[in-house]
Amino acid sequence: MPNVAVETVKLTIDGQSLTVPKGTLVIEAARQVGVMVPHFCYHPKLKPDANCRMCLVEIEKIPKLQTACSTPVAEGMVVRTATTVVNEAHKSVLEFILANHPLDCPVCDQGGRCDLQDFSHEYTPTTSRFIEVKRVFQKEYFSPLIEKQMNRCVQCLRCVRYCDEVMDVKALAPVNRGTMTEIKHFGTHELDCEFCGGCIQICPVGAITSRLSMYEFRPWMLKRADTVCTYCGDGCQITLQTKDNQLIEVNSSLGAGRNNGDLCARGYFGYHATTHPDRLTTPLVRRDGRLVPATWDEALEYVAETFAQLKLKHGAQVFAGVITARCTNEDLYLFQKFMRLAVGTNKLDSSARYGQVNAVRALCRIQGTHRWPVTFEDIAAAEALLLVGTNITEANPITGLRVKEAVKKHGATLLTVESLQPTVGTISNIANLAAHHFTAHPDQYKPVVLGLIKAVIEEGLADQPLSQKAPAYLQAIRDAVHALSWPTIEAATGSSAASFKEAARAFARTARAVIIVGAGVLREPGASGLAATLQDLLLLTGHHGRPGCGLAPLAEQNNDQGAVEMGTVTECLPGPCDLDDQEARARVSALWQEDLPQGPGLTIPEILEEARGKTLKALYLVGEDPVGSLPESARAKEALEGVEFLVCQELFLTETAQMAHVVLPACSYAEKDGTFTNTEGHVQQVRHAIEPVGESRPDWEIFSDLAGLMGYPLEYGDAKDLLKEIRALVPGYNLPGPTPKPSRPDHTAVDRYLQQGYAEDLGERYRYTPPVKAAGRLTLLVDQSLFHSGKFSTKAKGLLHLQAEGAVSLNPADAARLGIVEGDRVLLSNELGHCRTTAKVWDRIPAGLCRFPEHFDQEARRLLSVSIDVATGVPYYRSAQVKVEKAQ
Amino acid sequence: MPKHEPVLLKNMLQPGYTGSLADYERAGGYQALKKVVGKVAPADVTAMVIKSGLRGRGGAGFPTGVKWNFLPKDYKGTKYLCCNADESEPGTFKDRQLMERDPHQVLEGIAIACYAIGAETAYIYIRGEFVLGSKILDQAVTEARAAGYLGKNVLGTGVNVDIWVHRGAGAYICGEETALLESLEGKRGLPRVKPPFPATSGLYGKPTVINNVETLANLPHIVNRGPEWFASIGSPPKSAGTRIFCVSGHVKRPGNYEVPMGITCRELIFEQAGGMRGDKPLKAFIPGGASAPFLTPDHLDVKLDFESVAQAGSMLGSGGVTVMEEGTDMVWAALRLMEFFHHESCGKCSPCREGSSWLVQTLRRILAKRGRMEDLETLVQLCNNIAGRTVCAFGDAEVAPILSTLKYWRPEYEALIREAEAHRAHELPMAAARH
Amino acid sequence: MLKEKYTTEIADILSRYPVKRSALLPLLYLAQREQGYVSEAAMQEIAGILKLTPPQVYETVTFYTMLNLKPLGKFHLQVCKSLMCALVGSDILIGWLEKKLGIKAGETTHDGLFTISKVECLGACGTGPMMQVNDDYYERLTEEKVDRILADLKRDGTSALKTGPFMWPEPAPAKRGA
Ligand SMILES: Cc1cc2nc3c(=O)[nH]c(=O)nc-3n(C[C@H](O)[C@H](O)[C@H](O)COP(=O)(O)O)c2cc1C
Ligand code: SF4
Ligand code: FES
Repeated sequence: MPNVAVETVKLTIDGQSLTVPKGTLVIEAARQVGVMVPHFCYHPKLKPDANCRMCLVEIEKIPKLQTACSTPVAEGMVVRTATTVVNEAHKSVLEFILANHPLDCPVCDQGGRCDLQDFSHEYTPTTSRFIEVKRVFQKEYFSPLIEKQMNRCVQCLRCVRYCDEVMDVKALAPVNRGTMTEIKHFGTHELDCEFCGGCIQICPVGAITSRLSMYEFRPWMLKRADTVCTYCGDGCQITLQTKDNQLIEVNSSLGAGRNNGDLCARGYFGYHATTHPDRLTTPLVRRDGRLVPATWDEALEYVAETFAQLKLKHGAQVFAGVITARCTNEDLYLFQKFMRLAVGTNKLDSSARYGQVNAVRALCRIQGTHRWPVTFEDIAAAEALLLVGTNITEANPITGLRVKEAVKKHGATLLTVESLQPTVGTISNIANLAAHHFTAHPDQYKPVVLGLIKAVIEEGLADQPLSQKAPAYLQAIRDAVHALSWPTIEAATGSSAASFKEAARAFARTARAVIIVGAGVLREPGASGLAATLQDLLLLTGHHGRPGCGLAPLAEQNNDQGAVEMGTVTECLPGPCDLDDQEARARVSALWQEDLPQGPGLTIPEILEEARGKTLKALYLVGEDPVGSLPESARAKEALEGVEFLVCQELFLTETAQMAHVVLPACSYAEKDGTFTNTEGHVQQVRHAIEPVGESRPDWEIFSDLAGLMGYPLEYGDAKDLLKEIRALVPGYNLPGPTPKPSRPDHTAVDRYLQQGYAEDLGERYRYTPPVKAAGRLTLLVDQSLFHSGKFSTKAKGLLHLQAEGAVSLNPADAARLGIVEGDRVLLSNELGHCRTTAKVWDRIPAGLCRFPEHFDQEARRLLSVSIDVATGVPYYRSAQVKVEKAQ
Repeated sequence: MPKHEPVLLKNMLQPGYTGSLADYERAGGYQALKKVVGKVAPADVTAMVIKSGLRGRGGAGFPTGVKWNFLPKDYKGTKYLCCNADESEPGTFKDRQLMERDPHQVLEGIAIACYAIGAETAYIYIRGEFVLGSKILDQAVTEARAAGYLGKNVLGTGVNVDIWVHRGAGAYICGEETALLESLEGKRGLPRVKPPFPATSGLYGKPTVINNVETLANLPHIVNRGPEWFASIGSPPKSAGTRIFCVSGHVKRPGNYEVPMGITCRELIFEQAGGMRGDKPLKAFIPGGASAPFLTPDHLDVKLDFESVAQAGSMLGSGGVTVMEEGTDMVWAALRLMEFFHHESCGKCSPCREGSSWLVQTLRRILAKRGRMEDLETLVQLCNNIAGRTVCAFGDAEVAPILSTLKYWRPEYEALIREAEAHRAHELPMAAARH
Repeated sequence: MLKEKYTTEIADILSRYPVKRSALLPLLYLAQREQGYVSEAAMQEIAGILKLTPPQVYETVTFYTMLNLKPLGKFHLQVCKSLMCALVGSDILIGWLEKKLGIKAGETTHDGLFTISKVECLGACGTGPMMQVNDDYYERLTEEKVDRILADLKRDGTSALKTGPFMWPEPAPAKRGA
């Protein structure tokens, strides 16, 4: 965030003088000098509502008591929070609030951490003067996940306000009035919302509680561990609360982590996946064709021995390894070190291949660094935001909240180019907040972006200095967009030239602009090119390289960014540095005191290719399940069947693990220590909350032991030791502070691009060829839903309550045309295969598109084909053309 | 002919006056608008209103022109005027008559105010139950628009004034100006925390003036006859002009009486309203709607102007005068009003929400002869803990009936409680012994 | 579906406000006029028209006493019970109505014709006791008048005894003059 000179105000609170920024609320100023003014309805995240009247204080020269939560400080103000009058006021307000309260603390899950309990303890006598009849609300559930007990409600409306102001969901309603006001949801069915858990967390009393952990604990029984959620790239800090090695509850605290107290359903209700009964608890070794339990010694020795034999027989180049980017940096780092040293090959890759590689490539190419040039704070403070293919609420909900904050709190102009239509629904739709929205199918992102660039050029919005600095670059773009006519763009996008011009003006004429790009772009063909073109847009409008501005590609997995930086994508060494950067090789090998292996790396598709060609003899898969996650057309199963020795290190016995020769049980994030690097490049501490499930072990320990058995000792005392070594090779891993430092673009790289780099592929990037689509088909998009992440979350009972199976979502008009209504069984088919599923009719889906959640895509995957990006080796398989019909 | 010259009710007192545009024009209607729009600078209109001494007739009595002046100067954006026609203060029924019998007088006032403050749009927020009134207003707006008094380009001057009638839907609190704005925005009618005040951030966050129907209806007359004329009526300088007092309760001729401010309560009740029904002695009266503390026969000579009534410990409020004869049960009367306030508390502030139900239940208990002496102290304390501790003035209002009846008629409460105690001592010796 | 049936009326309502949500009360009245109460489906439809979530409509509906979430009798007799009317006999009026119709306040007659409600002040304090029947006010009620009104309502659906444009005391008759 840029430093703007802040006006300050001097005031006195309870005799202490202090200086605070103008506009600070008295309650916050008091907090700064250690004075806690009691309150219920106030919450720093919410606009003051001053309804509970608990925070009354005396302010000199004002006759009536004032609410500290809604009164901004003023120069020379003298505030008293502990006079007799004030104390009496606090007492009396509490007396009112308690009048209708059932005083059922013994059976309330909030007991022990309840504001009402705490303030009562402080202010009220133990007997009440209230001898009248208390009003009683019938007990009702919001849903199988959320319990509401309106008798306990203090009507602070924090839940309702949070749901509206922060989440933009507006699922809760205060209904009726006066003492009969209660919080309800709409309709006779159960609550239907984003299930962010915000209402539970923000309720100061026990009126809204989680049913996942009902009556299981008293707060003081719980052990707490602050760690990081693994469900998406946002990297929310969560507090795992445990009892007897069981996960009881998840919380997030205000002011902590990058999420500052906010979570999504996955983070809040998804914690049971780790302790699912299907977790692998012992190593498994294939004997007589069957996987049977073995001891660690047996299993590891078997692996080490087999590896040694194969290496002796065929050399190191018949090995390959793939690790999931859900692992910690320490795991990832040691994995690549293990592969390079103990095994002796560069043929290793990670799931960051599936999209993150495209993002990092594009950043490196044009800004010279591999991290975001902005932070979440910059997103919230942006004046203009352009979202392209993000599906942000579902994919990166917390980054999405920063976008909402920018628009709702700071009035930012939002432009969205998304595969969704603006509609009000139970899951917040970012397009609703957009000043300029372009509904786009995945193949329309490119023409929309080109339309915006054309509008920037034609409306004379291009940055002046650029025309001096890089006239040829500017001319090349000018020529390229000139060659694209408006009718072409209008036909390709379905949006008018005027709408592009308006949007371009709104975007260009702001001082702080951020472009966020997501899987919709990064996991579709042409990704790295389009990500580069988006940076052209920033360059053209003068935003590129300016503080608070830049391109922010969203990471899907919790440690996608770390996987790249640890050197677990095949083209990179730790750093990340190019695999064949001689200087970097020298640096790494000096630290490791070993020579690095020669020979090429292999991407995931290439590994499968070699396996299919039987040149690959041994494959080490850590947390990766190609059989269960790639489309059938990738023929992963067939490929793996050709591998002589398959080792899977896993939490569960996945489809791939079932084929393995050895299965090694690994710890989940909740059982290990280390670090994750989130989408904005912020490195955060992962801390174990429970002891390892069964005999499972942290991944890095397994690598270390295997290496030792193979005669290449890679020994570390703990994860911290590993982090120390990482620091020596990878910048940005010093003790993580509260906020990340955004990377500053490297000017030589920018100049290189502006002078000649652009020319490499500009022609291709600015050419538009309409896609060929078979008539009568819909575009099927297999993508992320809000309630799940990968397949791991489908083991979480809380999330299964919210979404237990896949269904294809259709646009209402398409559904009507096809004679399909909600709940119908439908058949999806194309040349590759067919699948039967249930139809959901959702007005958020654009016409011509249908969506299926990847988490339940076992059958839908039959319809997808894989294409591989020649430049980045990324396999694309998220969309396909399908015929949709009612199943007979 | 009435003893005092009526101003606002003058037209409708003419036999056969229907309130149609033709009737209104014949009576000199819309001359004031013609006089000012495009001819007198808006700031001068405001100055004229300040000079007249006109104060709000909605309840708080704030000087109208001064309120207009709070709008940000040199502000170029949209501004709004809201006419508060919620008329829901128990005891008040004057705006209804002004709107149903002489709607154009109200519309002309609104148009003048709009011109003065630079608002192009005004909303009349009328209480939902006044279906007839809203229809009459709607029709009047249509007529006035067709005649060029309203709409785009008023009287060919380039000034725009659009008026829309917006019906509430049954909520007393929507008379409170910020609750009114919330309600007009389609939300629950919960008062807003101030500041910001409507003058800077009102309807849709835009600068907004809210004025009562009667306040606005005075404007054409101030323009036509001059601020000096207005300032000479009533008890200037603080209480200039006439007031329409709504007399209800135990009088011979209840109804609306327009008199200069400053006549005595006695004159209003005994001359205008014909005195007590059945000639029973007067026991109590409320001078300014349900929110105003009760007064006693000792206060009959208090002048009905803002200051005098305040000095007597009550308030002029909305002009609703309710008269009670000897024999009226004051605990019952307080309870009836308290029930109203309990029913109408929006529920936003804890003291008001919880306090109103607590007070009602306690009063009911006392009236049902199940009270205790401590209850009286509790009642007073609860009232004091509500007043001044809430977002809006409702909190101050709801305690008026209890505090004032306890002040003047405490023996009635005590008598009920003594009966209760006698009962308890008789029937429940054990329990009584324990207490 | 309101949208089809009242297309122009809805467009006209929306045109009065710069912010859609302001049209909420007018649209709810429309829905209530159509069905006699505000149904869940209507709330949903209105939410769609105004780009609100159904809970936002719901919370608003429940704040206002004139909007009903359940069907009522064809004639909704709302009797003011506030102090001013009570001073002049509104409790007697309620008792009379209850006796005549054989139901208690808050109930609806078996034939679905009448619902009696006790309500707070309706702004007719000088002309009490009074009641509102659907859109109309009936004031200065007596037992005889109530009987006639009930009979009229049953027979004609309306009654001539309803109040016209309000003025009280009534203006002096034309002739007596100055
Ligand atoms: C609880 C409460 C109810 C009110 N009800 C009304 C009302 O029904 N009509 C009205 O004109 N003013 C009412 N007011 C006063 C308004 O808030 C506001 O002061 C008035 O509309 C301003 O107009 P004026 O300055 O012309 O009086 C009420 C105030 C409060 C606190
Ligand atoms: S449920 Fe909790 S957070 Fe919501 S209003 Fe009630 S007390 Fe406040
Ligand atoms: S915290 Fe200030 S009024 Fe509730």
